[in-house]
Amino acid sequence: MLVEDYRAGDMICPECGLVVGDRVIDVGSEWRTFTNEKATKDPSRVGDAQNPLLNGGDLTTMISKGTGAASFDEFGNSKYQNRRTMSSSDRAMLNAFKEITTMADRINLPRNIIDRTNNLFKQVYEQKSLKGRANDAIASACLYIACRQEGVPRTFKEICAVSRISKKEIGRCFKLILKALETSVDLITTGDFMSRFCSNLGLPKQVQMAATYIARKAVELDLVPGRSPISVAAAAIYMASQASAEKKTQKEIGDIAGVADVTIRQSYRLIYPRAADLFPPDFKFDTPVDKLPQL
Amino acid sequence: MDEDSALESYFDDPVGNVPDASGFLFEGDLGLQGPPQLHDPSFLSSLSQPEKDIGEDLDLSFLPDDLPEDTCGNAASNANMTQDHVFDGYRPEESAETDPNKPAVMGASTFCPMTPMTPMTPVAESSGIIPILQNIVSTVNLACPLDLKSIALQARNAEYNPKRFAAVIMRIREPRTTALIFSSGKMVCTGAKRIGKSGGRSLSPCPKVDEEDDPLIPQATPLVFAVYSDSEEQSRLAARKYARVVQKLGFPAKFLDFKIQNMVGSCDVCFPIRLEGLVLTHQQFSSYEPELFPGLIYRMVKPRIVLLIFVSGKVVLTGAKERGEIYEAFENIYPILKGFRKQ
Repeated sequence: MLVEDYRAGDMICPECGLVVGDRVIDVGSEWRTFTNEKATKDPSRVGDAQNPLLNGGDLTTMISKGTGAASFDEFGNSKYQNRRTMSSSDRAMLNAFKEITTMADRINLPRNIIDRTNNLFKQVYEQKSLKGRANDAIASACLYIACRQEGVPRTFKEICAVSRISKKEIGRCFKLILKALETSVDLITTGDFMSRFCSNLGLPKQVQMAATYIARKAVELDLVPGRSPISVAAAAIYMASQASAEKKTQKEIGDIAGVADVTIRQSYRLIYPRAADLFPPDFKFDTPVDKLPQL
Repeated sequence: MDEDSALESYFDDPVGNVPDASGFLFEGDLGLQGPPQLHDPSFLSSLSQPEKDIGEDLDLSFLPDDLPEDTCGNAASNANMTQDHVFDGYRPEESAETDPNKPAVMGASTFCPMTPMTPMTPVAESSGIIPILQNIVSTVNLACPLDLKSIALQARNAEYNPKRFAAVIMRIREPRTTALIFSSGKMVCTGAKRIGKSGGRSLSPCPKVDEEDDPLIPQATPLVFAVYSDSEEQSRLAARKYARVVQKLGFPAKFLDFKIQNMVGSCDVCFPIRLEGLVLTHQQFSSYEPELFPGLIYRMVKPRIVLLIFVSGKVVLTGAKERGEIYEAFENIYPILKGFRKQ
């Protein structure tokens, strides 16, 4: 049980008085700063926290652009221009991290997914087995894998929407990365997407729960063999919404889910015959089952 | 069924020669619908098996005949060996016993003992289903530089669009195939598959003898070839036809290094399959992404074959260099698929 004496920088054992460390440097914050004490200038001189896990721990010195008048030479150009080449070895990696953060921001992904994505990217990048592929493609695929691994999968089309890479290329990189990192991901289920799709459509919780139940039941009863879980989810949402007060058209659902409306129609036709069995027992029907649209 | 009779005959190989008459003619139809018919005594008698100590539930019709006491070339026996290895699955019980029999029966082959190299199915019954070859891709070297423009202008059924692709795309109707002919003289021939009934005879896949000095004289006339319709033979025949076309256009074309690069087969296990279960247990081999492709992509290691497995029970096998690999791969996957049958 060592106690730190910050005045002298010692680590002292309180029982026997032995001084273990001497002049140990305190790594706490340099100044005591309070929130918005008219502090437009942050007096801290150490800058941001490093991200040693991801950057390869570079200790380069960077000189920022000057602020006073003395930093400009006669013509108005700044005297010290060179801010380049801070870490050429991992420039591409830093670029990719920036790209990942940008993509993730567009769909409001939380920090943990971004961190996981960065880690995956770093592993892939260091392995160099996918070196020939576009970094953006690898970044997008890592984002997809990270979402899957965190239990909140995004469809390929959703990732496509925030990335400049085509679905085909993301799919290819996805498979290559799984092979390179020797991991695997869980299979997607219909329930993974329900909350997102239903919220985007503005459906109430009751309808969302009903749609989840319908989709699960449909898969259990094997009414939709071979259909993508996304399509089944979309059809289930359609059925649930049509049975409730908030009716959504196939086109709207197709837009949100990234599924063609003919695909929703196909899957809907498969689950329609057993509609009565698929609804949860406590569901309140606005439109009864026999009045459901039949396409 | 048609394909089965030719399949039978495929494995009853005399090498290269026009087949020696009697041993091969099958009186009666060879139905290969399932194991019971394989044991139809008429087959066994017509195959003139000397040793019949193997039990009658053993299917011998796939053993190449004892007929080639003549020269089974090495390559032919190699081909036999792969086939035998494939049909290990068809001889479940008498593994040990058939071993000593086999060399006697086959004559030329020195087959290694039948320990299956894939550890999966110790005692399994044969599936009774045989994948059908759907496509063969082969390459051949014509060994002379070609002027693609003149070929495209003179030949019929040729297209050449140098901005799009640097080869002439030529098609022929007889074995319905497409060839890509490059200016270096190399050619890729795709699309060959077996057509319809054969006469019950076939030629074995030609051994890898060098044919540099025998450019375009086929070992039998094309007419005879048409009778022996077997996918690999079709591919070779088609490649020869293309080479002849090129030769007729004035280039000194030869026919070197004909090699089959890829064979695609398909079949149906006739029951629905639970792909989710399969991907869970065989994670390191399978890839199932319904968003990307509706089928499960199974990359088998032992014969290096890729299988596309669908919910309906249809299976596509590809990546084989030899017919036997396809059969072997299917025999390996069948018991696994049976385990994931949907109830």
